[in-house]
Amino acid sequence: MDIKISVKNLDAYYGKNKVLKDVSIDIPRNKVTAIIGPSGCGKSTFLRCLNRMHEVVGGTITGSISLDGDDITKNDPVLIRKRLGMVFQKPNPFPTMSIYNNVAAGLKLNGVRNKKILTPIVEKSLKQAALWDEVKDNLNESGANISGGQQQRLCIARTLAVDPEVILMDEPASALDPLSTSKIEDLIFELKKNYTIVIVTHNMQQASRVSDYTAFFYLGELIEFSDTKKMFTSPDNKQTEDYIRGRFG
Amino acid sequence: MQLHFTKEVENLKVNLIKMASLVDEQAEKAFTALETGDIELCRGVKAKDLEIDAYDNLITTQCENILALFQPVAADLRFIMSALMINNQLERCGDIAVNIAQRIKKTNEHHYLIAETQILEMGRQAREMLKSAIDSFIQNNSELANKVIDSDENVDKLNKQIFTTLIAKMQAEPQLIETCAHMIVLTRHIERLADHATNIAENLVFFVDAKIVAHKKKLERLGDNN
Repeated sequence: MDIKISVKNLDAYYGKNKVLKDVSIDIPRNKVTAIIGPSGCGKSTFLRCLNRMHEVVGGTITGSISLDGDDITKNDPVLIRKRLGMVFQKPNPFPTMSIYNNVAAGLKLNGVRNKKILTPIVEKSLKQAALWDEVKDNLNESGANISGGQQQRLCIARTLAVDPEVILMDEPASALDPLSTSKIEDLIFELKKNYTIVIVTHNMQQASRVSDYTAFFYLGELIEFSDTKKMFTSPDNKQTEDYIRGRFG
Repeated sequence: MQLHFTKEVENLKVNLIKMASLVDEQAEKAFTALETGDIELCRGVKAKDLEIDAYDNLITTQCENILALFQPVAADLRFIMSALMINNQLERCGDIAVNIAQRIKKTNEHHYLIAETQILEMGRQAREMLKSAIDSFIQNNSELANKVIDSDENVDKLNKQIFTTLIAKMQAEPQLIETCAHMIVLTRHIERLADHATNIAENLVFFVDAKIVAHKKKLERLGDNN
């Protein structure tokens, strides 16, 4: 397996409260890895540890996380977040910015102002996010004036514009209708050709549809990590089986 | 939702057991007639088969509904898949019981040949396989199912032996050609019944042990030859 992110003995804390316990996992390159588990199991915390967002909300970690061999704890968090982009549960376009500027926001923050450079990146990102055809004639309209599903794809385009290596998705379709969800899932399938994707989802069917690998977390521990087909047909662990069959959680 | 799902699955299993019981009754009548020559037992077997067919449709619909509405995974998914396949096998067993009953009527004039040519022994073994396959399904007993799978070779051997015996009989006693021809078809039905019992057992192993054992021996032999 070609490893993109290697996590070793990760413990995560909020104050003294240990929310992740000795998690070790190798996340494969250019694959979709789904993180599943009941509420409070540490899925989102795990995701936030990967791009050092956990420390932004006052958390601490021990253990190591490396991205292509680089220890992320020893690098500038801003640079790390550029390499590991994130898409959240609720679409969060900047409401006062146009569609164009929403996509260009990350680049502008990094000092890119030249429209000749920005415009092709905005177009490419919107195309990659499968939104270009729907907004190409309204790029100057507010990012808040499009539908929820379009807003989420706009956020994905914004993430793609800074050319990350990994896309972290925290329940990216849970606030969307079935058609928009389907578009996001198709998009994930396309994006994995060029990016490593880690997705947190509560939706078992979504995890089984979109991911190549699945990790099951319970009470802060990684219980099982395996090929998604195996996970949803004959998991090794009884707790995993009970969870995916809806027996608890 | 979980309670609702469990209730639907229980309901499906109850219907499968009811269907299996009907198939078992039909097979019992056909094989008792084979043993005793009492063709009265064969009456009503065909009419009763319609009840099995009705269960076939009902169970298919139940499985379709469960798959569409609950999207089961892991053991739940394997159970629904097995239920669909076992349903299909049971329906075929019902048809075969009718076919056997019909052939018994046509061969009854020379009933002594049934025992003489080992058809009776083959019938006993196939009947036992079906009974055990159904029991393994009711009890979720993969050990018993594996015994059924292993028994199939004996029935296949008997089938070949009986075929040879019947051909020799036809050559020696041409007046028995018609009866022996019916008996060849009869043994073919019995052999198919044993195959379906094996398939039921294989599906049960798939559900309980999450292993695909169908065609295992043939594929292993092919692997050894390559």
